[in-house]
Amino acid sequence: MEWVAALLFVAVIVLLLAGFPVAFTLGGTALLFAGFGVLGGSFNEALLSGLPNRVFGIMNNETLVAVPLFVFMGVTLERARIAEELLETLSSLFGSLRGGLGISVTLVGMLLAASTGIVGATVVTMGLLSLPTMIKRGYSPEVAAGTICASGTLGQIIPPSIILVMLGDVMTTAYQQAQLEMGVYSPKTVSVGDLFAGALVPGLMLVGLYVLYILGIAFFRPGSMPAHQREAGETVSFLRVLQALLPPLVLIFAVLGSILKGLATPTEAAGVGGMGALLLALSRRQLSFERLSEITQSTLRISSMVFLILIGASVFSLVFRGYGGDDGVRAILEALPGGVIGAVIVVMLVMFLLGFVLDFIEITFVVVPIVGPVLLAMGVDPVWLGIMIAINLQTSFLTPPFGFALFYLRGVAPPSVRTAQIYRGAVPFVGIQLLALLLLALFPELVTWLPGRIYG
Amino acid sequence: MHSETSASLIDRISAVTGKAAAWLTLFMVIVTFVVVVMRYAFDAGLIWLQESVIWMHAVVFMLGAAYTLQQEDHVRVDVFYRSMSARRRALVDLLGVIIFLLPLCAFIGWKSVDFVAASWRLREASRESGGLPYPLIPLLKTVLVLMPVAVALQGFSLLLRSLQTLRRG
Repeated sequence: MEWVAALLFVAVIVLLLAGFPVAFTLGGTALLFAGFGVLGGSFNEALLSGLPNRVFGIMNNETLVAVPLFVFMGVTLERARIAEELLETLSSLFGSLRGGLGISVTLVGMLLAASTGIVGATVVTMGLLSLPTMIKRGYSPEVAAGTICASGTLGQIIPPSIILVMLGDVMTTAYQQAQLEMGVYSPKTVSVGDLFAGALVPGLMLVGLYVLYILGIAFFRPGSMPAHQREAGETVSFLRVLQALLPPLVLIFAVLGSILKGLATPTEAAGVGGMGALLLALSRRQLSFERLSEITQSTLRISSMVFLILIGASVFSLVFRGYGGDDGVRAILEALPGGVIGAVIVVMLVMFLLGFVLDFIEITFVVVPIVGPVLLAMGVDPVWLGIMIAINLQTSFLTPPFGFALFYLRGVAPPSVRTAQIYRGAVPFVGIQLLALLLLALFPELVTWLPGRIYG
Repeated sequence: MHSETSASLIDRISAVTGKAAAWLTLFMVIVTFVVVVMRYAFDAGLIWLQESVIWMHAVVFMLGAAYTLQQEDHVRVDVFYRSMSARRRALVDLLGVIIFLLPLCAFIGWKSVDFVAASWRLREASRESGGLPYPLIPLLKTVLVLMPVAVALQGFSLLLRSLQTLRRG
């Protein structure tokens, strides 16, 4: 009955395009398929009775408690206008350099990324904050738009992104499953901390490549990226720079450092980070009762959105497995020419294409559990695979004409910036992303070195 | 109009529940912080306190689901939806509620009843010693039935509003 599983997968993708909320479309479609299967005698009804236990498992998942806590921290930092201040300070610091504003945007994207990790939010914030300024200062719309989109997507790969938390959780399960199937009964484990450590070098490498590209443009095509003539009285004091930069930096380093040094679990670090963000907001007089209540509501809505997709996805995978879909996927991947390399390339290509319609959460919860165990059983390193998936999807979100990041920026860009300009600006960054993927494929140590150093 | 009042009544119930549950996120942050301080400063691991964070987390996203639906914050794949007319969108929402949302909620709720009832009957407590006492575990499991009921109600409100949009033409 594997063809039914294939049909289910295609049906879900097509039905999702209608635009009804993902969580319900995923679960609802799978349920319909199961229903017809039970009536026609091709689906074992008993499989579905485990559902409450699975949902309760999601409710009790200790790793994923880090998600709402990190979201709380990110939303608090956002509402306390930390990002605005960072961008203002950095751009007045670097603004008089050619390309300085572009570099500031990239750096803020990196720092914001570390605190929010939700693509849409970062691209929108950065677009609203910096696109008008960049254009006013004579940046070509292409360069400005490309820089903002790319920096906004850094949020997925730079720890502590919530996407890495989710991917880490899914990878843990997939890795255990793969090893059990290989007959390893004392399996090695992979944790969210491993993924954070693995993402650090590639993430910083991407930032470095972006900055190099911007400097290159500034050098070779100075017209598209003029230096800002500083007006009298516009100098920034060292103290102001310190005030804007230090607190968020300390917060991020404390959170990341305590996870990487093994002092705290990601959940604990996220809780401490949330507390730190609250204190930071309080010290800047940005925290009223009203705002605190908005922060909690916003956290609840994002959290509920994420976990309902997880519930929908678990109904989907229950039915997909019930029809033998995972065996089918395994058979296909194992029969591919080129062995492991062929299988990885095909999976990456499929995910890249799926990235045009589905976002990171859905792909993590729906697709990774299907293909992950097969690839891992073929001997792929789990941390490397996780980081490759993350950068691959980030690339997909930047690729015209369907990339999510481009849509988000279009939504907040002034009408004078044409859509074609946004597309053209994104293309060089897509090139950088592909280069990064190639580098990671050729030198997996870029990913595996740091986790190995830290966790042994 | 009759359907208008029932729709807004449902909306209000969802909003009140959601906003109340939202405060738990603040407690999650505070309690996690306290757990960390207790562990590193006083070397004391309080299992029930740790478990209470997970408990709150589950209540937050389960009881917040209906409010999130009302606030239009459940992600849609909006490649096409974005550019549809109001009528078209109403049609998508109407069909989505009938074909996907209501059956899914009915199924999860129905399948969970026995699961929850068993937990109450057994007066279940945490498996860890020093974990959450009775009746917190059965109470948490009860959320498995409450979530689908609340989401189905909110889905019904969405259905009524979609019908209105369609009728207005």
